[in-house]
Amino acid sequence: MVRKAPRDRIVSNPTVPNPFEDENISLIVGIALTFVAFLLRFYKLNHPDQVVFDEVHFGKFAAYYITREYYFDVHPPLAKMLLGAAGWFVGFDGKFDFEKIGDSYTQHHVPYVGMRALPAILGSLTVPIVYGIMRQTGFPIAIAAFSASLIVFDNAHITQTRLILLDAALVFFMALSLYAYIRFRKLRYSEYTTEWWLWLCSTGFFLACTLGCKMVGLFTFLTIGTAVLVDLWNILDYKKGLSMEQVWRHFFARALGLILLPFIVYLSFFWIHFKILKYSGTGDSFMSPAFQETLHGNELLLNSQEIRYYDTLTIKHRESKVFLHSHLERYPLRYDDGRISSQGQQVTGYPHNDTNNHWQVIPTKALPETGRGRVVRHNDIVQLLHVVTQSNLLTHDVASPLTPTNQEFTTFPRDDHSRYNDTLFQIVITDAHDGQAWKSKSALWTHSEPLPEWAFGQQEINGNKNAQERSATWYVDQIVEDETGEDLRNRTGVVEPKQVKSMSFFRKFGELQLLMLQHNAGLTASHPYASNPINWPFLLNGISFWTSNGEKQQIYLIGNPLGWWICVMGLSVFVGIVGADLMARRRNIKPIQKVIIPELRNRLLNSTGFFVSAWAFHYFPFYLMSRQLFVHHYLPAHLASTLVAGSVLNFVLTESIEYPISVARRGVTHLRPRMYTDFGIKGLAISAAVLVILVISFCFFAPLSYGTPGLSGEEVNRRRIISSWTLHFQSKEIDTTCVHKI
Amino acid sequence: MLPRRAASPPRQRFPSRPQGYVDADEKRATAISGDLRRAHPSAGLRIRPAEWKLLALVVLVALGVRLFRISHPDSVVFDEVHFGKFASKYIKTQYYVDVHPPLAKLLITLVAFVRGFDGEFDFKDIAKVYENTPYTSMRLLPALMGVAVVPLAYLTLRELDCGATTALLGSIFILFENGYITQSRHILLDSPLIFFTALTLFFWVAFSNEDRDRSRAFTEQWWLWLTLTGLSLGAVVSCKWVGLFTIATVGVDTIRQLWRLLGDLRVPPRLFIKHFLARALCLIVVPVFFYMSMFAIHFQILQNSGDGDGFMSSPFQHTLGGRGMEDTFADIALGSEITMRHLNTQGGYLHSHLHSYPAGSAQQQVTLYPHRDENNVWRILNATEEGIAEPDYATAPLTYVKHGMIIRLQHLPTEKRLHSHNIRPPVSDVDFQNEVSGYGFPGFIGDANDNWAVEIEEGDKHDRESSRRLRTLHTVFRLRHTLTGCYLFSHKVKLPEWGFEQQEVTCNTNAVKPNSLWYMETNTHPQLHPGDERVNYELPGFFGKFWELQQVMWTTNAGLTDRHVFDSRPYTWPILRRGINFWVKDHRQIYLLGNPFIWWLSTASVVLYAVVRVVLVLREKRGYQDFNHSRVVKYDSICSLLVIGWALHYFPFFLMQRQLFLHHYFPALYFAILVSCGIFDLVTATLRPQVRLQLAAILAIVAIYNFTHFSPLIYGGQWTRGQCQRAEWLKTWDFSW
Repeated sequence: MVRKAPRDRIVSNPTVPNPFEDENISLIVGIALTFVAFLLRFYKLNHPDQVVFDEVHFGKFAAYYITREYYFDVHPPLAKMLLGAAGWFVGFDGKFDFEKIGDSYTQHHVPYVGMRALPAILGSLTVPIVYGIMRQTGFPIAIAAFSASLIVFDNAHITQTRLILLDAALVFFMALSLYAYIRFRKLRYSEYTTEWWLWLCSTGFFLACTLGCKMVGLFTFLTIGTAVLVDLWNILDYKKGLSMEQVWRHFFARALGLILLPFIVYLSFFWIHFKILKYSGTGDSFMSPAFQETLHGNELLLNSQEIRYYDTLTIKHRESKVFLHSHLERYPLRYDDGRISSQGQQVTGYPHNDTNNHWQVIPTKALPETGRGRVVRHNDIVQLLHVVTQSNLLTHDVASPLTPTNQEFTTFPRDDHSRYNDTLFQIVITDAHDGQAWKSKSALWTHSEPLPEWAFGQQEINGNKNAQERSATWYVDQIVEDETGEDLRNRTGVVEPKQVKSMSFFRKFGELQLLMLQHNAGLTASHPYASNPINWPFLLNGISFWTSNGEKQQIYLIGNPLGWWICVMGLSVFVGIVGADLMARRRNIKPIQKVIIPELRNRLLNSTGFFVSAWAFHYFPFYLMSRQLFVHHYLPAHLASTLVAGSVLNFVLTESIEYPISVARRGVTHLRPRMYTDFGIKGLAISAAVLVILVISFCFFAPLSYGTPGLSGEEVNRRRIISSWTLHFQSKEIDTTCVHKI
Repeated sequence: MLPRRAASPPRQRFPSRPQGYVDADEKRATAISGDLRRAHPSAGLRIRPAEWKLLALVVLVALGVRLFRISHPDSVVFDEVHFGKFASKYIKTQYYVDVHPPLAKLLITLVAFVRGFDGEFDFKDIAKVYENTPYTSMRLLPALMGVAVVPLAYLTLRELDCGATTALLGSIFILFENGYITQSRHILLDSPLIFFTALTLFFWVAFSNEDRDRSRAFTEQWWLWLTLTGLSLGAVVSCKWVGLFTIATVGVDTIRQLWRLLGDLRVPPRLFIKHFLARALCLIVVPVFFYMSMFAIHFQILQNSGDGDGFMSSPFQHTLGGRGMEDTFADIALGSEITMRHLNTQGGYLHSHLHSYPAGSAQQQVTLYPHRDENNVWRILNATEEGIAEPDYATAPLTYVKHGMIIRLQHLPTEKRLHSHNIRPPVSDVDFQNEVSGYGFPGFIGDANDNWAVEIEEGDKHDRESSRRLRTLHTVFRLRHTLTGCYLFSHKVKLPEWGFEQQEVTCNTNAVKPNSLWYMETNTHPQLHPGDERVNYELPGFFGKFWELQQVMWTTNAGLTDRHVFDSRPYTWPILRRGINFWVKDHRQIYLLGNPFIWWLSTASVVLYAVVRVVLVLREKRGYQDFNHSRVVKYDSICSLLVIGWALHYFPFFLMQRQLFLHHYFPALYFAILVSCGIFDLVTATLRPQVRLQLAAILAIVAIYNFTHFSPLIYGGQWTRGQCQRAEWLKTWDFSW
């Protein structure tokens, strides 16, 4: 690009520093914003003294860390451990079960204010980080303060960070990652210095923390990862003059700091998680038997028994927790869709205990009279005898009642051997080795060729030809009696007290991680306040967190509409400017360059572009998710969009930039002529005006965020500026008019 | 200061200028004008007479392969169940709803109609034997379209400036692709789809060749190719919605063209806009017009009521023959005898009959019933004031039903009243649902549980009265049960056998609004006379019907999420993990499976291109000048078009939750096969023609061997058990059980 002499530039006087742009003033503004943030987040933190929304879950999980009982959740443990630590610090004994929204804390003596203080602190500290990001990127104080106040005075951020929820920690670490990466990037001319390594590693560390709070942290990884790739792409350019060895060195340094280090940190969260949760708890049943046996007091550990032939068992399906059941009724000969059944005895899943659930294991091989030979083992072929009707479980090539693609299950009289082959079942114990004994409570079995699968509605058992399906897993719930009718506990002789087994950390981690992903994807049930991502930036939906009928108080998660719409405007202006610029340059017109100093375009594409990519990566992937989504999933993206809004405002207001902002290094960088932003009084005034409106809008909606004071029907109606907000306690015009007309 | 090393790439990459080298100036000129003509000679259809003869021979072989024993099996195969049935619906002009647009089905119907099919065969189950059905002719249509793809592949490759040998190889690959053969031998939509996809690609490549020379823009030829592309795009998307991917492919390439044009500073803005508008006209307006006209034909044919009625809204249904309605009185007053429909579902009329609930209160059932019946008729009674005897409505002054009025509904045939109470309904047994029943007996004046408040939701815009008081058809309202505050509600839940599988009606305290909206369909009143104002459904015009059908197709399509025994996920397709069982009878089987050699070769080619392209880009960044080489430029432009086409026909399937089958990969496969031909052309470009021919012959022979090996699966031929099991090269091919 052709450099022009400074006098050609239209900018009034970018060579003289602006008197307002002083480090001391900057510090004072930053501290003031932080102070206001603390004030707004701690204001009436003790209200309501009841369980609000997802505190049901996360409060409970925090309590489990204190009681050290194992639980299962789809989110990684860091944020919950922090909440647990906060609870422990303020003396919570974990003896409250956060059962439902509206349960009173004060009655149960829960130090909830201390627990809520942690998210509130993290939420408040997010503000100076945002301010810092903008300052580090070279924006004037007013612009940085503008972006930060979009967070300070945002109702959604405040609501979300005042409660025992994970998002405060998530957003905090996400912002820190961005900040650390920008610091790292600014040191690009001082590569491999201590400071450079420090910021690289802290980027990695904070990334791991973000991911440790929620899986959404992956999007932060994507953001930073893409920026690093672009960076490496430029390093690769042969015009830079770096040899391949040097390129590789850069690559490995980043791989170390941004992949390996975060991975280790992430693992360490789980390591601590497993170390803390060593007692059996509500999460046991999600895990594999081997995992369960590592927990103190697990039922499986205490009560499991080997199963022997001729034992009578009840068998439960693992996912739907119903017993394998049969009764004398027969399948109807002809189904509604015209298919024909075998008219055999019905085999169904039944949720209650009943003698019709009893099945006896019949061997298909010669057995020794006594001893270990009578134990049922992995891969054994058996028959299952339904005790009450004295018939064997059978499956055959007849379509099952509701799922024509799967096989029907029925039973067949035990004396009739004509269908013998159809009554053979193979015991396949999940993750077992050969010869492992089948144990009650522990052993899971599936069926060899056609295989039972619980499917559709409440009553059907059918055979799926695909034996790999996870839903084909069953376990023995109870040994009812053995053939002799003796007391079961004595038959193995003296039962030695069982030791807690150990399992390698990596296997535990792998199992839990996989389960988390599966359950996360499985959260597809509809929720009244779930919303579609398209609604989020425009704030079309909120979530009702809590209501109190007496005083007509409610907490409704909704952002500051003005702030959110400013952010959307910022994004669209950016897209418009860049689009127009690209088109124009294609025609050899350079609108940005021509008017303004050349570095401005780079600044717009690189800095603002980075913010936009952060927004896009934290927003668009949600479209691909089919799980239930809520508006608070947008908070990280909203934070990114405030950064965009600030920098776009700067672009609109002034044509000058702070330059250079990267840390120069003597001998490596050519020193460029220094430039300063000439922001002017006009810009200051506009930012201030927007701020005032922002605060007014915030105050207007504040009763919905703090849950106090209560609002009358008309007041609620006035705040319902978008008809899709489902606020409570609206006054209904319909009813009153009705009465009058009559 | 760090030691700085010189850039690593060797400067002397090309010691002497190799043949075909384009220097930087030339390259820039090419890039600006988009004129690759100088880089490599123009394409265009310049086919030697000998080639035509060769092509004719290939087509003859293709005919033989595709039509061999096409009448076998003489029973219904796989999805002929559906598409055969749709043909019979067209012939019987009975309305049906399908997730696919009509073109391919119309073509099949046309053949059947010409051969005198009376539509009486019902295509009920796979392997049902045909009776009185010209099924062979119906199968001929997809088969011939399948044959036509073979020469199209040849011509397209020639247009892409590949050698005749390559083009021949390409057409042989298409010819002996088992999957294509199997799919095109039955009454299925994929063969027309692939044909139109191939046709579009051919036209588009021809147009691009024409467009490359700026001076030939807007000539007759140019317009011809462009218009043909548009028409054929319309045809693809009128076969199946998958055709949208073809539109995307052409669209992406159009944007590439326009972007290049925008960068050409010699093109004035006016000319650019002209280029833009010409493409918009031919590639957007023409296909849309074509697509809509297909639906116009569709509606024109299907004029009578059929089993697709239930999917459509009531105004739509009233456009169908046999479902019309006479005009009905507009004003609803106390004493009116009405029928009332649920707005959001097609469950039908509020209905009651002389059967009781088997559980709950055991009172008379209230349901939704889709057909007209005298059991749908209710009389509106006044309940606003307690304890006043019912007036004689034939004489008492007319009182219109207004918003907020409290009424009762009396079922005319049984004299029961619409009633609700705090008892859970037998089916939707949840807290917030209350049972709705018919209750009462002659002489009983009813109780407060019979009272319902009318809440008018909205009226018709053209009938201002209708938002103030109830008007037939125009007013949408809710009925609130005054004692419990719940709303009369219905949803897509069928009652069991005891309720004759009619739709459930409940009273919901937590009702979502759309499912609690109702309107009156017919209305009579003893005091209204023939001269009084009457209303009827406003029948939708073509656009209304068109748009409604699109929405219904979309929701039906998205709802196809049940598992099928032979469905598969997209990642399994390029490796040909599993086929589809089409038909089994008497130990003979038809199983859709690709030609493994061609299939795997095409996948490998796509991967190879992607890898090489990435390496080239990285090398360029390090200063190597690969993209200055004319051969690289030429084959990159050929392969990038085809690979983009492949990707756009393949990756979107990953986003679809509905059930997917192997044959959804077929359009992508066409592009992949052409990529493999392009790579063959590149690899053999420097060889002598004879060697090239020999190499092509080897590939062709391997392909043909694979074809014959698996041909019993295509034709449902004889196979011994051993042969069958030996043919299972992959464990996941499940045809031998």
